[in-house]
Amino acid sequence: MKVFIFDLDRCNGCHNCQIACKDEHVDNDWSPIARPQPDTGQFWCKVDEEVCGKTPHVRVNYLPRLCNHCDDAPCMKAFPQAVYKRPDGLVIIDPEKAQGVEGLAESCPYGAIYWNGELGLAQKCTGCAHLLDDGWEEPRCVDACCTGALRFGEEGDFAEELSCAEVLSPEWGTAPRVYYLHKPKRFIAATVVDKEADEVVEGATVTLQRAEDDATVATARTDEFGDVWLEGLEPGRYRMWVQKEGYLDLPCAFDLTEKDQAVPEMRFYRKPATA
Amino acid sequence: MGTKTRGDTVYRGIAWSAFACSANTACVDVKDGKVLRIRPLHYDDVASVEERRPWRIEARGKVFEPGDKTLLPPLSLSYKKRIYSKNRVLYPMKRVDWDPQGERNTRNRGVSKYERITWDEATTLIAAEIKRVHDEYGPLAILCQADGHGETKVVHAPHGCQAMMLELCGGYTLQARQPDSWEGWYWGAKHMWGMDPVGMQVNQQNLYKDVCEHGDAVLYWGCDLETTPWGWGGQQPSRMAYFLEELGLRSFFISPDLNYTGACHKGKWIPVLPNTDAALQLAIAYTWITEGTYYKDYVDTHTIGFDWFEHYVLGNEDGIPKTPQWAEEKCGVPSYTIKAFARYWARHAVSIAHADGGGMIRSPFSHEPARLEIVLLAMQGLGRHGTGQLHLIEFGQFGFAEWNPMPRSQKYFELPGAYHGWMETIGRQNFVPKTLTPQALTLPEGEKLTWHGHVVCTAPRDDQFLPFEFPVDGAPMIHMVMSDSPSWTTCWNGGYAMQEALRCERVETIVMQHPWLENDALFADIILPVNTMFEEKDVAVDNWSGQFNMMYVQDDCIEPLGESKSDWECAIEVARKLERYGGVYENLVERYTQGKSVDEWIRAGFESAQAEDLMTYEEFAEKKMCLAPTAEGWEDDPVALTRWYEDPASQPLSTPTRKIEIYSTGLAEHFPDDQERPVVPHWIEETAEHQERRSCERALRYPFLLVSNHPRWRVHSEHDDVTWMREIRTCKVEGPDGYRYEPVWLNPVDAGKLGLQDGDVVRVYNERGAVLGGVIVSERIMPGAVYQDHGARVDPVVVGERGLDRGGANNLICPTATTSKNAVGEATNGYLVNVEKVDVFELARRYPEAFGRDYDPADGLRVSAWMAEGE
Repeated sequence: MKVFIFDLDRCNGCHNCQIACKDEHVDNDWSPIARPQPDTGQFWCKVDEEVCGKTPHVRVNYLPRLCNHCDDAPCMKAFPQAVYKRPDGLVIIDPEKAQGVEGLAESCPYGAIYWNGELGLAQKCTGCAHLLDDGWEEPRCVDACCTGALRFGEEGDFAEELSCAEVLSPEWGTAPRVYYLHKPKRFIAATVVDKEADEVVEGATVTLQRAEDDATVATARTDEFGDVWLEGLEPGRYRMWVQKEGYLDLPCAFDLTEKDQAVPEMRFYRKPATA
Repeated sequence: MGTKTRGDTVYRGIAWSAFACSANTACVDVKDGKVLRIRPLHYDDVASVEERRPWRIEARGKVFEPGDKTLLPPLSLSYKKRIYSKNRVLYPMKRVDWDPQGERNTRNRGVSKYERITWDEATTLIAAEIKRVHDEYGPLAILCQADGHGETKVVHAPHGCQAMMLELCGGYTLQARQPDSWEGWYWGAKHMWGMDPVGMQVNQQNLYKDVCEHGDAVLYWGCDLETTPWGWGGQQPSRMAYFLEELGLRSFFISPDLNYTGACHKGKWIPVLPNTDAALQLAIAYTWITEGTYYKDYVDTHTIGFDWFEHYVLGNEDGIPKTPQWAEEKCGVPSYTIKAFARYWARHAVSIAHADGGGMIRSPFSHEPARLEIVLLAMQGLGRHGTGQLHLIEFGQFGFAEWNPMPRSQKYFELPGAYHGWMETIGRQNFVPKTLTPQALTLPEGEKLTWHGHVVCTAPRDDQFLPFEFPVDGAPMIHMVMSDSPSWTTCWNGGYAMQEALRCERVETIVMQHPWLENDALFADIILPVNTMFEEKDVAVDNWSGQFNMMYVQDDCIEPLGESKSDWECAIEVARKLERYGGVYENLVERYTQGKSVDEWIRAGFESAQAEDLMTYEEFAEKKMCLAPTAEGWEDDPVALTRWYEDPASQPLSTPTRKIEIYSTGLAEHFPDDQERPVVPHWIEETAEHQERRSCERALRYPFLLVSNHPRWRVHSEHDDVTWMREIRTCKVEGPDGYRYEPVWLNPVDAGKLGLQDGDVVRVYNERGAVLGGVIVSERIMPGAVYQDHGARVDPVVVGERGLDRGGANNLICPTATTSKNAVGEATNGYLVNVEKVDVFELARRYPEAFGRDYDPADGLRVSAWMAEGE
C-alpha cells in the first residue's frame, strides 16, 4: 500500500507539486482514471502558505495538501458506487460512475474534492494512477519535487518516517495515507536587550510554563544575538520568565491560542546598584 | 516507465538566459502534435552512473551528491501555458496609424492599436525602411536592441539575429548589454580586488566543499537563491543551502524583506532598509576596528590603503565616527544587533553567499556596498578556510571551471559555431550603454552623450577608464529601432522616460520581433511574430545546473503556432527583401546563413564545442545527448583563495598592486575627485544624481524605500501571462474590480498608518509617475520599506512622463540616472516612493479605454486588447 510523505522542513515553497499536477491533468484526458482538471481555480495538489511571527522573528510555513487517499474515506462511504479504492491504496473517483454526482465535493472534510461544473464531475488527486499503471514510479508532484520534501512509496519502506509523522486532522478518523513530518506548531521568539547598555543579553535563562497547570514546558538560553526561539509549542496560554544574574527577573505572558508570538525588542533591566 | 502515457520524449533546456548556455534541462513528452507534459530529466535515462561519475561531498559525517534528476523551477514546468498563451503574436502586425508614406503618428505609440498584415507586406515595409534610413542617414542611424533574457536558444538565438544581419550591410548602433547581474561589483569591487570579468570572487574552485567542511555561517546578503537562479539555473542552490543547514552552519538573511530564501531556510533575519547596506557594513568595520577583532597582519600583507579607510570609519575625515548608533539611523538595524553581529562574525568562519544581483548591487551608488563587502571579507582574512564570497548561481559561467564552487566537470560545453546571438561590444565605438538608451534616442541635435567603458560584463577593469561618446563624430542620431528584446521599460532605469523616448518624432520607425505582445512591443510600428523554443529544432548546453554538464539536440516539439518564425528566420525574411536593392545587400541571405541548414549549424556547433573525446558527431546526432562526467581528481583542486591567504604573492590579484586595494589606485588615477565613487569606499548620502535617502527633502513627499526584487513567479517581465502562476497566493492580488494586481507588501505598522488592508489597490508613485499594485500586509517586509517585484507586465493607462500603469511595472518609476556619474550601471532598486489607496472604479470612469481592455484575470491582457476593431 502506497503512502505520501511530506517533510515540511524540506519544503522550499516552490509550488512545483502544484504546477506539475496541473501540467499532467489540465488539457490531458487520462480516462478511465481522470478526466481533465480545469485550468485554474481548482487544485488537486495545493500549497498553502502561512506567515507567522512578527518582524524580525518571522517564519513562513508551506503546507502542500492533496487527497489523503483515506483508508476510511468519507467520499467512499457517501458514494460507494462512484468512488473506489485500489489495491495500492489510492482512492479514485470513477469519472464515468461519478458523472453528475454533486454531493461528492461536500463529502470530503479536507476540501480535496472539487466540482468541475463544465464536466459535471467531482474530481481530485488520483495519485497519478494512470502513470503508475504504466510503469512510472511516482506521481508527477513527487517527481517534480527538488528537495526531497515530497516522497511516495510503499508504506513498509517508510516505517521510520511514519513512526514520527502525523496526518492532518486525525480526529476526523478517516485514516489518511498522506503523512506530514515536522509539521510546525506554535513558537515564541524574542530578542532580549539591555537598552541602557545598548547591548543584547546573551545567556539569559528563559523558562516557559503552561498557564493551565504551571508545568514547565521549555527552558532555553538566549544566544549571542539575545535571541530565544521556543518552538513546537501547543496552542494555549503561557507564562515566561527571563532571568540572568545581575538583572531583574522579567516575567511575561503569551497567548498562543490563535497565533505565534514574537517580541522584537524585549527590554531587560539591570538590578539597581545596592548602596 | 511505459510509453502508453509518455508519448515521444524530446530534451529541452527550458530557460531564459538567452545565451547559448543555461540549465533547466527537461524532458518534454509530445503526442499527436501536442505537448503532453514537461518533467525533469532523470540522469539514469541518458547516462549510466559509471558514465556520469557523480561527485560526493563528504563533510562532518554527511554526504551531498548531485542528485538523480534535473531540478526544474516551476517556470519550466508551467511553460506549456506560455507557449499556448492567448497573448502570443501569431502573425505580422502594423500599428494602424503608422504610415511610412505619410503621417507616422509617433506620439501614438503605446496608445494606438494594430492590424494584421502579411509576411510579404511586413518584410517589404521593413526592408524599405532600412534602405531609406541607410540612404538618408547612414547605417548607424539604426539602433539594435539585441540583448536581454529571452528564451535560451542557439541557432535560433532570441537576441542578435537582426543585428548580425545588419552587420553584413553596413553596421548599426548597438544598445550595449550591461553587467546587469553584477552592477555594484562590476563598477566597484573590480577596482578593489580585480576579479575580472564581473567583480565577484571569480575563483570559486571547491569553495562549497570548503564551506561545508570548515564554515560556521553563511550570510545570504541580499541573496535570494530560491528565486534568482530559477530562470536559468534551476534549484540546486536550494539543496545546497539545506545541506549547509544539515551540517549545522548558521544562516543569516540580510535584506529588507524576508525573501524566499529566508522564508524556507531557518536562520536569523536581519532586516536592513533598502540600499543602506553600506551603513551597516561601515558600522561592522567600526566595531572590529575599535575592538581590535580583525586580521591586522593579513590587512598589512594582503591589502593597501586600510589606513585611509580606518581614518574615515573612525570619523577623522568628516567628524562622524561610523558607529553602530550612526548606522542604526540610516539602515534600521538596532545598534545592539550590529555589535552582536560584528562580534559573532569576528569569532567564526563566515562566508557571504550571492545568487548574483539582489537589490544591494542594483541601487544608486551600488559600488559602495559592493566594495565594502570586500573590505569586510578582507578584514576577516578572506581565503581562510570556510570563508569567501560564495556564488550560488550560473556555475561555471563563461566556460571557465574556476567560477564554479561545485566539483569540476570534465567539460564545459560551448557552442560558438552555432550561436546567432550575443553582439560583442568590446572594440566597438558605435554603441550606447543600455542605461542611456532613452537619452540617446532623445538627444538634442548637435549634443553628445559621454560615458566611460564598454559597459559589457566581459570587459576588463581598466576598460572603465576609456571615454566614449554618442554619436561619434560624423555619425547620425537614431532614426530607427530594431528590437528583439521589448522589455526595456520593465527592466531598466526609468521606464517612463523610455516610453517617452520611444514616442519621439525623430525615431521614425520601430520594428520589434517577439513571441508575445507585451511591454515595449506596444510601442512598435511593425511587429514580427516569433515562435518559441518548442517550435524549432535547435541545440543546447546545460553547464549551470551544479549537477552534470550536458550538450544535446533539441528536436522541435510542435509546429510553429500561427505564422510565427524564429528570430533567425525573421532576419532571413527581411534579408531576402533587402537583396532586391542590390549593392551592399547583394546576396545577403547567402552571406547571412552561409548556406547552412539548421542541422548543419548544429553540426558546426558540435564541432566548435570540441567534445570529440566524449563522442563523435554521428553518435551525438543519434543519441542526441552528450553528458560530461565529473572531472577525475576534482578533490585535489586547490580551494579558491587559500593560496592567496597563505601567500598573496603566490596567487596575485589583477589589481595594479596585485593586492586588495581598499584605496583603489585605478580610481585615484582616473577619477580622483569623484564624490560618488570615491577612491576609498564611503557612505554616500545624496548627490546631484540621486536623492533616494529617507534623509532627503524628497522623502517628505515619498517616504518609503522600494524593494524591487527579481520576481519570484517570473523571469524579469516574462511569464506574467502563465495562468498557473497567477493563481499562486503571492503572485497576484485580486482587486475589487476583479483585475489581478501586482502585489505590494507593506509591514502592518505602515499599512496601519496608511489605512490599508489586504486586497486594497494602491498607487505606488513618485514624481516620475505611478504604478498600481494590490496590497499584501506582511511581516515579511520591514517598516519603512515597501516591496513590489519588478517586471510586471505593462498595462498603460497614461503613457510617458508622469504616467500611470495598471500592471504595476515599477521600473517605470525608477531613477533615470545611472549608478553614479562615472559608473553607468542601472539603479533600479532602493528608491523613494509613496503609497496611497486608490478607488479603481473611479479610475475606470476616468480612463474607460485603458480599464476596458480585453482582459482575463486568469492570464491577463490578450493580444485582442491591442487589435483594431474588426481584427
